[in-house]
Amino acid sequence: MFYKIGVDVGGTNTDAVLVSNADEIIAKTKQTTTSDISSGIENAISEVLSQSKIPKELIKYIMLGTTHCTNALVERKELNKVGAIRIGLPAGSAIPIMTDFPEDLKKMLEKHCYMVNGGYEYDGRLLNPLNEMQIKACLLKMKGEVESLAITGIFSKINADQEIQVKDWAKEILGDDIKVSCSFQIGGLGLLDRENACILNAALHGVALKMVHAFRATVSRLQLNAQLFIGQNDGTLMSLEQVQQFPIHTISSGPTNSIRGAGLMSKVKNGIVIDVGGTTSDAGALINFFPRESTQATEIGGVLTNFRMPDVVSVGIGGGTIVRFDHDVCTLGPDSVGFRLKEKSIAFGGDTLTLSDFFIADNQLQLNDVLQKRELVAKISSTLLISYEQALELVKTEIQQKIEKLVDALKNNADEVSVVGCGGGAFLLPKKIAGVSEVLFPRDMEVANAFGVCIAKISSEEEIVINTMCADEKEEMQKLLDKAKSNLLSKGAKQETIAVLIKEAVPLAYLPGAMLLRIKLFGDLNN
Amino acid sequence: MKKITIEDLEYISLGSTILGTGGGGNPYIGKLLAKQAIQAYGDVTLIKAHELDNDALVVPVAAFGAPMILVEKLFSAEEFYNAFDMMENYLGRKIDAVMPVEAGGLNGIIPFAVAAKKRIPIVDADGMGRAFPRLEMTTFTLHGIPASPITQADEKGNRNLYHTIDNTWGETLVGATTIQMGGSCAVTCYSMSGAEVKKSAVHDTISYAKILGESVLNAKKNQLNPISALMQQTQAFKLFSGKISNISMKTEGRWNTGICEIDGLEEDNGSKMEIDFQNEFLIAKKNGEPAAITPDLIVLLDAENAHPITAETIQYGTRVIVIGIKADKQWRTAAGIVLGGPEKFGYTEKFIPIELLNAKQ
Repeated sequence: MFYKIGVDVGGTNTDAVLVSNADEIIAKTKQTTTSDISSGIENAISEVLSQSKIPKELIKYIMLGTTHCTNALVERKELNKVGAIRIGLPAGSAIPIMTDFPEDLKKMLEKHCYMVNGGYEYDGRLLNPLNEMQIKACLLKMKGEVESLAITGIFSKINADQEIQVKDWAKEILGDDIKVSCSFQIGGLGLLDRENACILNAALHGVALKMVHAFRATVSRLQLNAQLFIGQNDGTLMSLEQVQQFPIHTISSGPTNSIRGAGLMSKVKNGIVIDVGGTTSDAGALINFFPRESTQATEIGGVLTNFRMPDVVSVGIGGGTIVRFDHDVCTLGPDSVGFRLKEKSIAFGGDTLTLSDFFIADNQLQLNDVLQKRELVAKISSTLLISYEQALELVKTEIQQKIEKLVDALKNNADEVSVVGCGGGAFLLPKKIAGVSEVLFPRDMEVANAFGVCIAKISSEEEIVINTMCADEKEEMQKLLDKAKSNLLSKGAKQETIAVLIKEAVPLAYLPGAMLLRIKLFGDLNN
Repeated sequence: MKKITIEDLEYISLGSTILGTGGGGNPYIGKLLAKQAIQAYGDVTLIKAHELDNDALVVPVAAFGAPMILVEKLFSAEEFYNAFDMMENYLGRKIDAVMPVEAGGLNGIIPFAVAAKKRIPIVDADGMGRAFPRLEMTTFTLHGIPASPITQADEKGNRNLYHTIDNTWGETLVGATTIQMGGSCAVTCYSMSGAEVKKSAVHDTISYAKILGESVLNAKKNQLNPISALMQQTQAFKLFSGKISNISMKTEGRWNTGICEIDGLEEDNGSKMEIDFQNEFLIAKKNGEPAAITPDLIVLLDAENAHPITAETIQYGTRVIVIGIKADKQWRTAAGIVLGGPEKFGYTEKFIPIELLNAKQ
């Protein structure tokens, strides 16, 4: 018998759950996120430990979900001094490195960008050999001025040799401590998107290191001897070593965790999850307990990347959403009082009419330190030209319509689906939704996020372009599968739990015979 | 005569995607290429076909290759300049202006880079008024203008000059060598006189693309719904409103082909639309009956922001508006229908103009 702890650090709250090895929630808590992050984590972990009275030595795994790297990029804080090398001249010279970066970020990062000879063709032929002198000259210019390096080669997804060679030269000249990101390990086909992701990854090494240290230190202060993981955006886990190598993969793990967490809590394998927070309701589709991925390009901190993010649709409905009436026309938000609910909203003695006020008055939400129902109804009425009952009806109708539209946008077909509510504002959701077979509210829905990271699996992904005129598609797919599998086992997956999440063969337009093969596997942690 | 600035490229790029009718390659890379060139060499002059001297030498420029290659092995820009120089040397006289072959997609914007570098104007016209998958599918072909001589250059410095017996052979030979060059290259072809441009090109397509892009991107500023803003500018037919319910794709020969199914919403609730595509959208059928047929343009728009959706990025569940735009009148002649109509793509349907298919009963 062993236990796991899942921790989710959000902008407002740090949540934690303590879970059995059968994924039952034994204890849960919501703590305030602290500015140093780690004391919030410490409080949350201590709280679930003392609630559950589980001995510390039985805690085998601790998983952390965090927006640390996302925030660092969005706020442009603590980013490393990066160098960037693109291998591929003569191709690509018309579109230099960081061409389409936002100006402020470009200014911070662009000092050492070099394009050098090299690259491969789509079929693996050499586009241009490396020029050792040329590359070493670039590396010498960077000496002492960069903390990390991003290396991107044309068609390095087909052959990574040149990227690896340049990495070796970089270590030789810049020393073993230089953090090197190679693009073939970071993104898919599409040079600019992959290069951008690689540069952002390089810029995040320092942030990741700090985050990992804080997490480790917190856990050892608590005298826990557990294996530590951090959640990534596809709903799987990374070891702390991997996080230091690929911090970019932790970006946007939040929605993924809540979608997966709510799915497993409610045992809904395929359906729609709506996470209602203070400002928005974010909905995503569940397919086999994993979030459906978006096919659209993703911007991170204003930079275009080709990360596959969960396909999330949002609407401005949350606990703090401001409600306005023009006679009998009701408008919800889209603005919200956010985390200032307790000073702004009428129920707490403020002067702003929010969705929470209506639901407290209607006895659907119980909070401490709020006005008595009669007084609250009177105060709400005093802001209106219509009766409170009429207003409540209008508010509910408006929510109903918006949520139905949200659900509809995510449905693949006209069949009825299950909807799972989660998050602190889930009380706002209608109990009946058109086109929906059932609306479920799992018992621990307010901590779906922390639960989601706690149940995450480990995964491995491979991608290659083949020529079906001289290679056998089935054989190549099998090779790719074996490669992904052995990679997954080396990460610590339990053999018999390994399953295929994605297996696709996409023919490439205008290239007779060329086929893109992609494999993604996942499995449970070996325990 | 008009100056085209970097800001204008944003509009033209979006407009080109609309005219790409689901194909034509993503103009994002072309936009970055043209932006760099304009930054380095200055704004580009856009001239109307009627401003050309009858004996002026006009040469269309295009990128040729697979969309996946174009986003990985980025252009050096030199391949375009090399192909251009080669044509100029071969013809033995200065080229007076460039022009797009294809206003839809990537090739609607690539010629701006050449115009900037060579400091010559770009003609506000093209050979399609949309995107098509083959080099010979142009209004130039309808007027008997040969694609030959064709120059071709890759980023490595390889160059070819082709004399082909007809325009279809141009596509066949250039297509074959492009694969050996690594899947992408630059071509110049259809060199012609100012008089020939006036007679054979689809006119004003760049400014049309710009207007389309402006109407969508500026709609918010003008507090308009982007879809209605676009509809006003295009005199388009609103064919359908719904949600993508299925998408099936396969490859036949060199092209991605498939069918995109849409379930109706709002006024189309209960109806179904199917769009057949071979890179570009070719036939849209509402409840089994044709609503628009190639060469008329079929455009899939995101219902939220009116941004065009290309065939390879169609996603289940997206709310879409399908609009149709009349093809240039040259495509609607008997010869035009043979070259760009449904039978060219292997369909048994006959071309019927969109305005007849959608006539109010």
